[in-house]
Amino acid sequence: MMISKRLPELQLLILCTIGCYIFLELFVASAALDGLFGFTGVDIIFISFLLSFFVAIISVIAGVGGGVIFTPLMLAFTSVDTLIIRSTGLVVAMFSGLVASGPFMRKGLADIKLVFLGALPILVGGFVGSMAAVSLSQHLGEAGDSIVRIALGVLLAAIALIFIVGGASTEYPEHGQRSKLATKLKLRHMYWEDTLQKPVKYNVHNVKVAVILLFAVGFTGGFFGLGGGWAVVPVLNLVMSVPLKVSAATSGVLLAMGNSAAIWPYINAGALIGVVAAPWMLGQIIGGIVGAHVLSGIKAAFVRKLLIVMLFLTSLKLLSRGIEGLFNISIPFI
Amino acid sequence: MNKRKKPPIPISGVVYGEIIYWCTCVSALVVLYGTIKSFLEVDQTIPVEYLLNAVFEGRSVEAVWTGSALQKSPDALTYLAILNSGEAITVAGIAFGVLSVGPAIFFSAAFMWRSHNEFFAVTALLSGAFAVIAPFVFFLL
Repeated sequence: MMISKRLPELQLLILCTIGCYIFLELFVASAALDGLFGFTGVDIIFISFLLSFFVAIISVIAGVGGGVIFTPLMLAFTSVDTLIIRSTGLVVAMFSGLVASGPFMRKGLADIKLVFLGALPILVGGFVGSMAAVSLSQHLGEAGDSIVRIALGVLLAAIALIFIVGGASTEYPEHGQRSKLATKLKLRHMYWEDTLQKPVKYNVHNVKVAVILLFAVGFTGGFFGLGGGWAVVPVLNLVMSVPLKVSAATSGVLLAMGNSAAIWPYINAGALIGVVAAPWMLGQIIGGIVGAHVLSGIKAAFVRKLLIVMLFLTSLKLLSRGIEGLFNISIPFI
Repeated sequence: MNKRKKPPIPISGVVYGEIIYWCTCVSALVVLYGTIKSFLEVDQTIPVEYLLNAVFEGRSVEAVWTGSALQKSPDALTYLAILNSGEAITVAGIAFGVLSVGPAIFFSAAFMWRSHNEFFAVTALLSGAFAVIAPFVFFLL
């Protein structure tokens, strides 16, 4: 409640959205959709909005982008066409990051230099990745796709394990040697840590390796249509030694920017169904603003735990999809 | 510096964040208007109930649109041609939010340049150019 009082635009958006859905529920005669437990079209839109709101809060805090939660859930529990899920997934992944960019930058949580350092590799990587996906699916078919998914699932599980083994040191990473390139580029920064009530300084390391990795993240994000925020946080935090909270905020901003190019082929192919994507987008915007304000006030350890759980869940989903595709079997409950 | 004093926040970041933040809020209102219009319009080019049914039935993108009055998958130009329909307004709202990235990057790059961070100003300009050109590249393919 405190957040909405400080942000009149958030109040307006919540009022308009809730008002709109109440109006539709009361005054529009919407028929029940086939096979959806008697829910009408308006009901589905309102439920989608609520789900998206909670997904946005969790994804902004963890800096992973809602697509990582949305896409596996939709693929697992609905029969909606994968192309429509991927396009809506990109909207979900993008909009919480887009709207959270404002609060993150205002509070100095997202590092603008890191954003512009990583933007080009992620944008180009995403572009090349989506092109490669189209080309590979024509040549290798689903088997090749499954093998890549399994490899990615194993990689994500490994990153989650590194987060667990790394323990508290990953929240405020310390690095002995100073990177020459980072010093030359003036990649050192300081942010105000609300939970400690003091500024936290940090230096950036391994710039060249990180740029290559961010290109790879963009590539895989574009290739799978999941967005890439889930892997940007580990790259910033574990490779570049950026504090976890700054990594999560910077990742959200980078993710939104990176996906802005990838959405266009979906729009041009008619795969972005406005009425389906709209409640998810609105939930991401309102939830994104709430999440961005919650982030500065919560303990970094909480973000880390949330991230570990999300990495494991995503890894599980990727592995199951890979195995399902490769051996033509169905794994229940995953 | 006082150890408890809040550090200064880069203006280029604030400019970037504010442009995107407000454009996204406006795009949300456009999308809301589009949603209401979709349900209320009497003479629907794209009936919303049909769309939702077709999507949740699991029909492919092509099948969804073939069964509608459009009879083919719409591209960006189709949406522009039927911009008075609720569905097109909704997609236009989403597109507006996405497009806000380009100008936000360019304005931020200008402030980055003024603060003597030339390297990041150039990387920002390249990223902005890519974000703006990307839709047209996809349309041409």
